[in-house]
Amino acid sequence: SGGGRLLESIRKWYYNAAGFNKLGLMRDDVLYEDDDVKEALKRLPEPLYNERIFRMKRALDLSLKHQILPKEQWVKYEEDKRYLEPYLKEVVRERLEREAWNKK
Amino acid sequence: KRLYSLKVAPKVAASAKVERVKLSPEAQDLEITKLPNGLVIASLENFSPASRIGVFIKAGSRYETTSNLGTAHLLRLASNLTTKGASSFKITRGIEAVGGSLSVYSTREKMTYSVECLRDYVDTVMEYLLNVTTAPEFRPWEVTDLQPQLKVDKAIAFQNPQVGVLENLHAAAYKNALSNPLYCPDYKIGKITSEQLHHFVQNNFTSARMALVGIGVKHSDLKQVAEQFLNIRSGAGSSGAKAIYRGGEIREQNADSLVHAAIVAEGAAVGSAEANAFSVLQHVLGAGPLIKRGSNVTSKLSQGIAKATTQPFDASAFNVNYSDSGLFGVYTISQAPNAAEVIKAALNQIKAVAQGTITDADVTKAKNQLKATYLMSVETAEGLLNEIGSESLVSGTHTSPSDVAQKIDSVATIDVVNAAKKFVSGKKSMAASGDLGNTPFLDEL
Repeated sequence: SGGGRLLESIRKWYYNAAGFNKLGLMRDDVLYEDDDVKEALKRLPEPLYNERIFRMKRALDLSLKHQILPKEQWVKYEEDKRYLEPYLKEVVRERLEREAWNKK
Repeated sequence: KRLYSLKVAPKVAASAKVERVKLSPEAQDLEITKLPNGLVIASLENFSPASRIGVFIKAGSRYETTSNLGTAHLLRLASNLTTKGASSFKITRGIEAVGGSLSVYSTREKMTYSVECLRDYVDTVMEYLLNVTTAPEFRPWEVTDLQPQLKVDKAIAFQNPQVGVLENLHAAAYKNALSNPLYCPDYKIGKITSEQLHHFVQNNFTSARMALVGIGVKHSDLKQVAEQFLNIRSGAGSSGAKAIYRGGEIREQNADSLVHAAIVAEGAAVGSAEANAFSVLQHVLGAGPLIKRGSNVTSKLSQGIAKATTQPFDASAFNVNYSDSGLFGVYTISQAPNAAEVIKAALNQIKAVAQGTITDADVTKAKNQLKATYLMSVETAEGLLNEIGSESLVSGTHTSPSDVAQKIDSVATIDVVNAAKKFVSGKKSMAASGDLGNTPFLDEL
C-alpha cells in the first residue's frame, strides 16, 4: 500500500496505544478465541504453547496487582512475532475448502 | 479360329477377406519395463471399464528396527493424511467424488497402495495415489489423532485367534526382521512420532524398491507418470537385515477352549527351486476345505487325525514364502483336552510323507488343486494386480499363468518327499494359544 513509512508509523503508534505489550503480551496472545483460533492453538508445537501460557499467566498476575512491566520489558513492535499466523492460515484454508466442497 | 485373350480374365478372389468388425480391441499382453532408477512398471491393458493401479513398495514390518516397531502399522493407517498436494479432506472427498477407492494392504515384506476407479477418472485418482505414496506430510497433530486408531485396528484383528498365533509364530521362529509384529505392540501405541514415519518413508519408499502396476491402463501413460513423479527418491534405501531363523516356541495361555497351534520348520524362499515343492506338499497334506463348510475328507491331515480323535478339529498345512526364507508346517485347531493327540497325529502324517508313502496319484491331485487355486486367485482384478505387483517387486519379471502351471507340473514326487524330509529334520518353531494344559511342548513332539 502507498505511503509505506507513514503506514508503518501509524501501526506502531496504534500497537503501543493498545497497551497489551505493557503487560508482556504479544498480539497472538490476545486474539479472540473463535473456533478457528482454537483449532490452530491445538496445532501449536509444545514449546510455543508453553511460552504463550507463561506470558498469559504473567499478564494475569500483573493485572491482579494493577501493575505493568518496567519499560525495558515491554514487548517492542519490531519484536512482536505472529507465531500463530501460519497455523491459523492453514486452519482457515481447510475450513474454506470444506465449505466449498459442501456447497457443491 | 478363336482368338483367346492372352490374359485370362482375372478371377475375382472368392470371398475377399471380410473385414471383421472388431467389437472390442483385443486384450494386449502384459508389458513390463524397468526404469534405470530401479522402478518397475507393469501394465496390462485389458480394456475393462474399471481400472486398477497399485504401487507396491518393499516396506513392510520386516524393515522396522526395535526402536520403531509399529511404524509400518501406523503408516498403513496413515494413507489418508494430508499430503503436499492435497489435504486429508480433499483426498477423501476427491476419491469419493469419482467413485474410486484407495486401499492399503501390507504384509511383512511389502506395502501396497491401490486405487480402483472407472477408466475415465484414472488421472484424478492417480494424482491422489502419487501424493499419498511420495509426498505425505505427517502433520504432528494428524498423527497424534490417528494413534487411537491403532488400538481399534488391533482389537478387530485379534478377535481372530489365528492372528495372535501367527504373530507369535514369527516372533518365535526368527531372530530379527521377520519376527517384527505386523500390528503395533501395545507399548508403542501413542508413541510413534511424525519424524519416525518420515524416516521410515525416506528410507524405504525409494524408486528402486517400488513397482507401479496398472490393470486397464496404457503402458505409456504409466511410464510417463512414473518418470515424472516417482523419481524423487532414488537409491536403494536402507536394506533390510537378512532374516535369521532360530526356532523357538511361544505359548499364550488364555481361556479359549479351542487350542490353536502352529508347528513349523524353515521352508522355501519365494522363487527358489523348492518353493513349488513345498506348495505341492501343502496341498497333498490338505490346505483348507475345498467345499465350503465341508468336512475336508480328502486331506491327508484330516484323515490321519480323524483316526486319533473323535472330537471336532481342523488342521491344514501352513506354508509361507518370504523373499529370503519361508515357513512350512501345520496349523491345528483342536479341543483343549485332546490337543496333544491332534498335533501328534498331524505331525505323523508329514512324517509318513517324508518316508515316501504318498502315491503319484496323490501328488497329481495336489498339483491340480494348487494350479486351480493359483489360477482362480488371478482371475479377479485384485488378485491379478497383487500377483503382478508382488512378482515385479521381487524379480522385475512376470511369469504368465501357463508358465506357472508348467512349473507346478514339473515338481516330481521325489521333490515333495524331500520337502517333507526337510520339515521333519529341520529345527521346529511352535506357537500355541488357548487352554494349554494338554498341549505338548516342542521337545515332547
